[in-house]
Amino acid sequence: MESLIVLYGALPYILRGSLVTIAVVAGAMMLGLAVGICLAVGQVYGGRWLRRLIAVYVWFFRGVPLLVLLFLFYFGLCSLLQINLSAFTVSVIVLGLISSAYQSQIFRGSIMSLPEGQLKAARALGMSDRKAIPLIILPQALRLSIPGWSNEYSIVLKDSAVAYALGVMEMMARAHFVASRTYEHLPLYFAAGFIFMILTYLGTKGLRILEEKARIPGYSS
Amino acid sequence: MGKKIARMLVLCMAISLIAGGATCLAKDKVYINGIDANFPPFAYVDKNGVPDGFDVKSVDWIAKKMGFKVTHKPMDWDGIIPSLRARKIDMVASGMSITDKRKEQVNFTIPYWKIAQVIVAPKGCTRSVDQLLSNGNKVGVQRGTTEAKWMKDNLIAKGKDFVLVEYDSAPLAVEDVLNGRIVGAAMDDAPAKDAMRKKPVKIIGGFGMASEDFGYAVRKEDTELLKMMNEGLKQLMASPYWEELKEKYKP
Repeated sequence: MESLIVLYGALPYILRGSLVTIAVVAGAMMLGLAVGICLAVGQVYGGRWLRRLIAVYVWFFRGVPLLVLLFLFYFGLCSLLQINLSAFTVSVIVLGLISSAYQSQIFRGSIMSLPEGQLKAARALGMSDRKAIPLIILPQALRLSIPGWSNEYSIVLKDSAVAYALGVMEMMARAHFVASRTYEHLPLYFAAGFIFMILTYLGTKGLRILEEKARIPGYSS
Repeated sequence: MGKKIARMLVLCMAISLIAGGATCLAKDKVYINGIDANFPPFAYVDKNGVPDGFDVKSVDWIAKKMGFKVTHKPMDWDGIIPSLRARKIDMVASGMSITDKRKEQVNFTIPYWKIAQVIVAPKGCTRSVDQLLSNGNKVGVQRGTTEAKWMKDNLIAKGKDFVLVEYDSAPLAVEDVLNGRIVGAAMDDAPAKDAMRKKPVKIIGGFGMASEDFGYAVRKEDTELLKMMNEGLKQLMASPYWEELKEKYKP
């Protein structure tokens, strides 16, 4: 009973942390989207050296653990370059760059799955590649990417909890602080986990709706 | 679709820039005190998420007296000295023991509290400290603390037969004492007393480590701030508010 009272009292504080979590995830996913699309296009249509460079980038960000990258950027790079970014900003950038590596592979798969005739037909109509890729290829590829992208969303959402190591006041950090004061660890971690589940559900559901809305009826590749 | 995405992107970047920029601007006027909010009664967050505790209230009083502004930023203990040196925070007033090793990296104010290290075990425990620290028993401790280092250097390295299990915070170690995964946990006596008030544990006794002094840590180059904090501490410890704090937080 006592733990329920503690939980009830702490809930508003933890829920405010979910706003921080949402902001981190939204920023990271958008950064990952922008960089990921560029990487995917570069990897499919770019020259040999560009492709190699992107492969190294993807290897690096998929290969180094999140916590290592967070510390590397926050304590290492920031003081090396004499820039003082907040823990929040660093978390968004690091999660975004890691996500861009994963997202680029989602988009690359989608682009490669399009029939080759699409680009050829665009060229036959007199379109340059510079025009055909954003106007013909990407709109189709991005639609195909939504299922993979919602997978990536749920992963980034949960990874964002690691940002507490830098002192970002997201849900996990807050649950931990309240647990230290009240010694009610179990119900508090359970509550944080449950809110994460709800956020996962809402996000994937939203993307599912987007997938339906963006679908072109009668179109098949 | 492309336009929409672009618009969202711009918005996102603007938000993160503002978030980043705001902390930069605030830096000029407001000092940031980094706290380990998992360290009651010296530093923790209250019901409404506001930093509270013996050290937090002490610094607030000093700030008011000396005429500067201060905010308290909860963060992970492991990264607190790197954060101080990387200018993410300006001081650490959060139950930090003054040690020679730390003195190489930061400057400390005058000591304001003497702290002893003790072993905490379940309430019904009848074993002595020596019995707990033997037989290959598992004993918990907070990672990155002076007691963790001392136990490794002076007990385990000298042949004491127990295993040290490291935790993110002292309360988590207490939680595992109650779970039965470890037979006891080593920690400062103040948080141990705090744990006793809230959970069925008791203090068994000290384990041979000399008592330590708490001080506030500041960057080496911030001599002005150090002078100000020292002066403030002296005034605080001479004032009746110091007794009030002791009464309220019972460290």
